[in-house]
Amino acid sequence: MDAPAILRGVGLTKIYGNLVALRDADFSLRPGEVRALIGSNGAGKSTLIKVFTGAIAPTLGRVEIDGVAAPLGDPSEMIRRGIACIYQHSNLAPAMSVLDNIFLGRQPTRRFGFVDSARQRREARALLERHRIAIDLDATVGNLPTVKQKEVEILKALALDARVILMDEPTAWLAASEVAKLHDTIRMLKTRAVGIVYISHVLDEIFAVCDTMTIMRDGRVIAESAVADIDRPRVVHLMVGEKLARESAEAAHEKRHPRGTGEIRMSARDLTKRGVFTEVSFDLHAGEILCITGLIGSKRTELLRTLFGCDRFDGGTLQIDGRTAAFASPTGAIAAGVGFVPEDRHREGLMLDMTMTENLAMATLDRFHRGLMLQRRRMSEAARQAIASLSIQPPDGSRPVKLLSGGNQQKVLVGKWLNRAPRILILDEPTVGVDVGAKAEIYRILRRERERGAAILVVSSDLEEVFTIADRIGVMVAGRLVRIHDADDCRLQDIVREIGGAAA
Amino acid sequence: MSTINGTRSPQIAQRVAANALPLAMAAIVVVFAIAQPAFLTPDNLIGIVRQVALIGIMATCMTFVIMTGGVDLSVGPVLAIAGLVSFYCLQADLPLAVVILAGLAVGVLIGTFNGLVIAFLQLPPIIVTLATLSIVRGSALILGGPEQHLIRNEPAYSFIGAGSLFGLPFSIYIFALVAAVMIFVQRRTPLGLLVTAIGDNERAAHLSGHRTRITKTLVYAISGFGAALAGIIQSSQVHTALATYGPFGTELDVIAAVVLGGTSIMGGNGSVARTLLGVFFLGIVNNGMNILNVPIDIQLIAKGAIIVIALAIAARRS
Repeated sequence: MDAPAILRGVGLTKIYGNLVALRDADFSLRPGEVRALIGSNGAGKSTLIKVFTGAIAPTLGRVEIDGVAAPLGDPSEMIRRGIACIYQHSNLAPAMSVLDNIFLGRQPTRRFGFVDSARQRREARALLERHRIAIDLDATVGNLPTVKQKEVEILKALALDARVILMDEPTAWLAASEVAKLHDTIRMLKTRAVGIVYISHVLDEIFAVCDTMTIMRDGRVIAESAVADIDRPRVVHLMVGEKLARESAEAAHEKRHPRGTGEIRMSARDLTKRGVFTEVSFDLHAGEILCITGLIGSKRTELLRTLFGCDRFDGGTLQIDGRTAAFASPTGAIAAGVGFVPEDRHREGLMLDMTMTENLAMATLDRFHRGLMLQRRRMSEAARQAIASLSIQPPDGSRPVKLLSGGNQQKVLVGKWLNRAPRILILDEPTVGVDVGAKAEIYRILRRERERGAAILVVSSDLEEVFTIADRIGVMVAGRLVRIHDADDCRLQDIVREIGGAAA
Repeated sequence: MSTINGTRSPQIAQRVAANALPLAMAAIVVVFAIAQPAFLTPDNLIGIVRQVALIGIMATCMTFVIMTGGVDLSVGPVLAIAGLVSFYCLQADLPLAVVILAGLAVGVLIGTFNGLVIAFLQLPPIIVTLATLSIVRGSALILGGPEQHLIRNEPAYSFIGAGSLFGLPFSIYIFALVAAVMIFVQRRTPLGLLVTAIGDNERAAHLSGHRTRITKTLVYAISGFGAALAGIIQSSQVHTALATYGPFGTELDVIAAVVLGGTSIMGGNGSVARTLLGVFFLGIVNNGMNILNVPIDIQLIAKGAIIVIALAIAARRS
């Protein structure tokens, strides 16, 4: 491991106006090393990554590749020198084929600039074979499941002969078994002396696949360590600081309330949507958190959307508070006391250009007007209270939501329902791409809602999360809700086995 | 230290860019006033407002459409057909209120049709309203034929576009009222907030329980209303109804005014008040060039260039 650094950042500082996003950060990566880059949202990880990809030029400091100073703020030059990046959100052209995406912008050409499609296909096949990845080269990327899209992105980097791959939350949208597969790919890359920077909020993954870690907070590198020399409490402690670390440790010992107060709020019997999910039955009680987990593609999201009235079901019955419900639209579901936090906060959840106050009021506009007049002052007042009770940072309601960190955006998204004091709250992957601190706060909010008597239904792929917050755990496999456990009487191994279905 | 000094000038530049339109307007007014003192006379200034009233009414009423990420290309023929319908109602000796309501109703109906197709069939607004443009123009030609229909001896109707009250043309009051109502709706009502929300993220608005399709239908109905109102005022002003009024290019002037005002053609943030600025900007440019006897061909080129420059400056803001 004493090889010289393949990628080095020295004294990197980035200043935006009055904000110091990165403060004198040193960073170094050797060939074949997998280095975790961790820290809360806003700690400066993204800024550091952007400096390495050339997306931004640092205010001060230098970047060296193989000991040679690299030009700063020049993305194409960084790619040429072997630095590739896989972003959390897809960077692919959805309407084009897998093959075209792999070679996008640098297709092998013949004379006169015609694309040499035969060669392109040959090279892609060789690439698939070398890395044992099975994917249809002619499939349209937009039609592929998220998991496969991630593979296409990795292939794209591999096709570049990348020597350093920066992975920004590569597993944010992956299910457990796919994460393992990605980790296999990473181990294979290691053997080929590719250096990897691995950004993730999931400590499990970091301890599973990384060799070393760099921990950041407030724009500084505050610790570096070999993964073998550090334990989780210490990592969390370094990341979030004293207070939050203690709270999340306490929360882990909370009492569970399977079936809550015993009052059934939502009851599904043999709920079926042809070709999507089949005979799903469950009871959701007031005062409990029911988590449904499963692989991506097990149709959990589709189930939630149907419960909320976005889609219709074709068989079975759904009852809310003992009354039969068949919502034609979310409007009906909301009137019945249901709130829904969708998975993709950017595409489906938030009005990014609008203010925090407006976003927080979005589900309760009916309460903020007198006659025709919108009562902006009351809206601001309600938002001020929500911001305080959700501890959203910075506590400034007039700030556009797009300027908030992921964790705070997620709090806004959850918070907009709390004004309604929903009887049933449905959340789809409530902490994807959210840092440890904000995660703990979102769990605290959900527990508080549960104590208030709300019935909470959560879909999550993150088993750490499921075991942290669930009172009961449902497992969904290929469109069927195969089993619901009391969280106290089941073990992680059992759930993992069930998630995989009969095949595992 | 250098970084701290370095942050100041971008802030000033940004502030300039954010107010580019008012500044450009002031600059142009100064240039015109120096070149031709007649530009600043009260009569000419009132004339500008009167000239922009039609485009202004349509633009303020179309701002919501554009804020939702849509566009309404059908306003020109709607203007024409509303004038014709009012003319025939006048001929039938219907009471003035019925005449006006009938003209407005045609616009609202066409707008509602646009909105229903766009919102419920989820077809692209640019294509739907382009088709409507064709359908309505054809219908207007069937209804009115190629000839001019003179509106004579209808003093009450003629007052709408040609009368004056307290020394100002009556059409200016209508324009002011429409603008005030639209500004109020945008800033002070839940509908205004919802329109912004739909433009920003329609799916999120839907998932927050809002009936987004009905709202979208409504904004096209409002745009149709504006076009019909403009049609009534115009037919009254020139005492004529004609199937080819609101010629090709009318919709472009209206859209240009909205976009110059800073409403994003992609939807989201927008402002009716700023649309008014866009309307007056175009009006002043037109009027000034007329006063300076700039030939019409040069005027068209200059107008296009000014629109692009203004938008480029505005784009630097973000």
